[in-house]
Amino acid sequence: MEIDVNVRVAGGAGQGVHTVSNLIMRMVVDAGYHFHVTQDYMSRIRGGRNSQTVRIGSDPVRAGRETADILLVVNPDLLPHFLPAVGQGGFALADFPSADPPLFSVPLKEMAGRAGSPILANVAGTGVIAWALGIPLETADAVFQADFKEDFFEKNRQALRFGADWAEAHLPGEIRERFRLPSRPPVQRIILSGNEALALGALAGGCKFAAGYPMTPGTSILSTLANDGPSVGLLFEQAEDEIAALNMAIGAAYTGARALVATSGGGFALMVEALSLAGMMEIPVVIAIGMRPGPATGMPTRTGQEDLAFALSAGHGEFPRLVLTPGSPEEAFDLAQRAMDLAEEFQVPALLLTDQYLADTIVDIDPEVLGVHPVRRHIVRGDSVPRSGEEPYLRHAYTENGVSPMAVPGEPGITVVVDSDEHTEDGHLTEDHATRNRMVEKRLRKGAMLAGRIIPPLVAGPPNGDLLLIGFGSTKEVIGETRQILAREGRTVATVHLRQVMPFPAEEVARIVPRYGTALTVENNAHGQLARLIRGECGVKVDGTILRYDGLPFTPAALAEDVRRKVW
Amino acid sequence: MVGRFDSECENAWCPGCGNFGILSAVKKALEETGKQKHEVVLVSGIGQAAKLPHSVNVNVFNGLHGRALPAAAAIKMANQGLTVVVTSGDGDIYGEGGNHFLHNVRRNVDIALFVHDNKVYGLTKGQPSPTSDPGWTGSLQRSGVISGPFPPLAVALALGCGFVARGYSADVDFTAGLMLQAIRFPGFALVDILQPCVTFNKKNTYDWYGRMTYKLPSDHDVTDREKAFTLALEGEGRIPLGVLYRKEKPAFGERHPQVPGLPLGERETPEEAVRALLRRRLAAAG
Repeated sequence: MEIDVNVRVAGGAGQGVHTVSNLIMRMVVDAGYHFHVTQDYMSRIRGGRNSQTVRIGSDPVRAGRETADILLVVNPDLLPHFLPAVGQGGFALADFPSADPPLFSVPLKEMAGRAGSPILANVAGTGVIAWALGIPLETADAVFQADFKEDFFEKNRQALRFGADWAEAHLPGEIRERFRLPSRPPVQRIILSGNEALALGALAGGCKFAAGYPMTPGTSILSTLANDGPSVGLLFEQAEDEIAALNMAIGAAYTGARALVATSGGGFALMVEALSLAGMMEIPVVIAIGMRPGPATGMPTRTGQEDLAFALSAGHGEFPRLVLTPGSPEEAFDLAQRAMDLAEEFQVPALLLTDQYLADTIVDIDPEVLGVHPVRRHIVRGDSVPRSGEEPYLRHAYTENGVSPMAVPGEPGITVVVDSDEHTEDGHLTEDHATRNRMVEKRLRKGAMLAGRIIPPLVAGPPNGDLLLIGFGSTKEVIGETRQILAREGRTVATVHLRQVMPFPAEEVARIVPRYGTALTVENNAHGQLARLIRGECGVKVDGTILRYDGLPFTPAALAEDVRRKVW
Repeated sequence: MVGRFDSECENAWCPGCGNFGILSAVKKALEETGKQKHEVVLVSGIGQAAKLPHSVNVNVFNGLHGRALPAAAAIKMANQGLTVVVTSGDGDIYGEGGNHFLHNVRRNVDIALFVHDNKVYGLTKGQPSPTSDPGWTGSLQRSGVISGPFPPLAVALALGCGFVARGYSADVDFTAGLMLQAIRFPGFALVDILQPCVTFNKKNTYDWYGRMTYKLPSDHDVTDREKAFTLALEGEGRIPLGVLYRKEKPAFGERHPQVPGLPLGERETPEEAVRALLRRRLAAAG
């Protein structure tokens, strides 16, 4: 990538770190560039140590970088933590009495005061960064306009200009030469976080009911649905607990509404009994799980991929399910849409497994790649309901593929009976063992049908070679960029990104793995759950794992180094 | 005579079980609503009481232990045209589902809740329920129940429930009358139904209830919440039957802006409306 500038803003919660990254990302898109924002925050409302990193590029950016080129520290007490990550040729800004390069002492408080409010220190700092990047300050006006009223709009503009003026007077000209973004025509881009993309994808997929109990990092899925959902007819209700949330979603789905719940691992643990209910009642429902490190409360605001095995096996008893693992906001939009549809077509629970990293990652997206497809309903109504005189409607009729025509209550002439007990075709509870066998086999046939419709993994790189890196979910783009780094070093490296882990694309993965000298999984967990899954599903053993479980996402440079150490 | 809501499905209750009276009352109340079978949904959890819906020819959602209320509330939110009735046991609603009971009273969705209150867990063979009398000897409490009883009517009143009543399984017509009022009440309506368990509860028998209960007089002021609260806390020797409290207030469906309109399951998803949501996220330059 020709231009690759990494800007990090750090401060306590409540010091406007988000405001700065929001300003910068919108300004760079206006300037014709692309960005990728990662958020690192603590579980508290005020204070602490939060940072957001905006990686700016001349090409679309899809992964973060650890070394910062430009660092703005709003709370100077945090400098010792963040300063060491400033890379060569980079610089740092803080309101500190004295400083030596790469740190520059910038009078943020004084400028904020002059602009009219001490809380504008962050915006004054943004002005310094905008100067270094050579971005016209007017591009911030639209952002200020959207967020602030008359008086404060003007104060924000002022603070931004004071920052830029100070930089012009005090910072060495080389800085601007080094980081200036050459002028380019802007292109149309949509700005989305992983969670927003997932929620909008669910809406595109016809989601009409959502319930949930707030839990990081799932909450912003709920807030997007609650705020944007009504315009497409969605009803959102905050539940008293996660148990209620999923039972509510199942109740709504029983009436024919496409329904979704969103949570994290701990909340999903409470939903597990109801997941099994959806399996038994054959009710379509979508469960979005944003993973975070456990066990128990773990690190509530950090990332991990520890709930893969849990999502695959959760729920007592045996029943078919779908588990999709989006790797980017674009994929979250696409797979959420598909999950809404597939859940209803096969009358199964569908899980969307993401994590805090993807949930909070914000990128700019080409509007053309966000495909909105017509919603195809799979509910039978009116004349399409199978009827035979006085005989009852059979909600669980035995069929060749295991999927029974699903009618909903309110349909004249019939009743719809569903039960958490094992049941007869008409839905009433039974303890007959022959019926039990037939119902188990009917559910098995649905699983087999699902296995015939697997969303295939994405494979990149040469068809055989030195190294294969395999990941699922949010590691997709990091592994992709790592492959490019290693390819530039002359290695033949390929990657497999799994978008679906249940049913597992066993044949395809078993075919690919042996073609490479070394096959490694890359996972944000300590047990190597994906490696075990591949072994169990394909009978193929990968050669090793690269695991990270400190609560932070992988980055390409660090992952490339892990690979070099491990393989060469 | 075969009634409109009779079902051929067998039930598994003991001879003399109070559930038979409650089943008769449910069918009678449903008859009097004038509703068709496809317009009614009976929702239950798990337990002998929770098997009741299988014996009524209507839509049935027999879900998980304790979880009838959230499912029922969402069924009604999703389709206001359905008459939604929950019928389940005291352990199911007040014990396993206690949190849902509290919050669904608050939520005030227009559903009726009939609790079969026999003060004992029957299906698991004789453990105390949340409403068991202190000192009663359950199969797991050989020296008697220590915890104080859960007072469902008082709790419902404290949370602002708009319809609070108590029935008795042995008086089918009387209880059916309460059920009909509860179904017609526009909001969350509770009917706690006293019921002997002939197999596991040898204390709270038909004879015992006959001596301990009385019907509220016709001049009882059902809008007096404080009086209702006093009645709800009346104990052994004087257990009131009838409507303790009735006062309408706007139900969930009238207050939640997304309820009016078509049932959720029939709403379209215009692609243009989705694209408009995406366009709202265009960067300023777009």
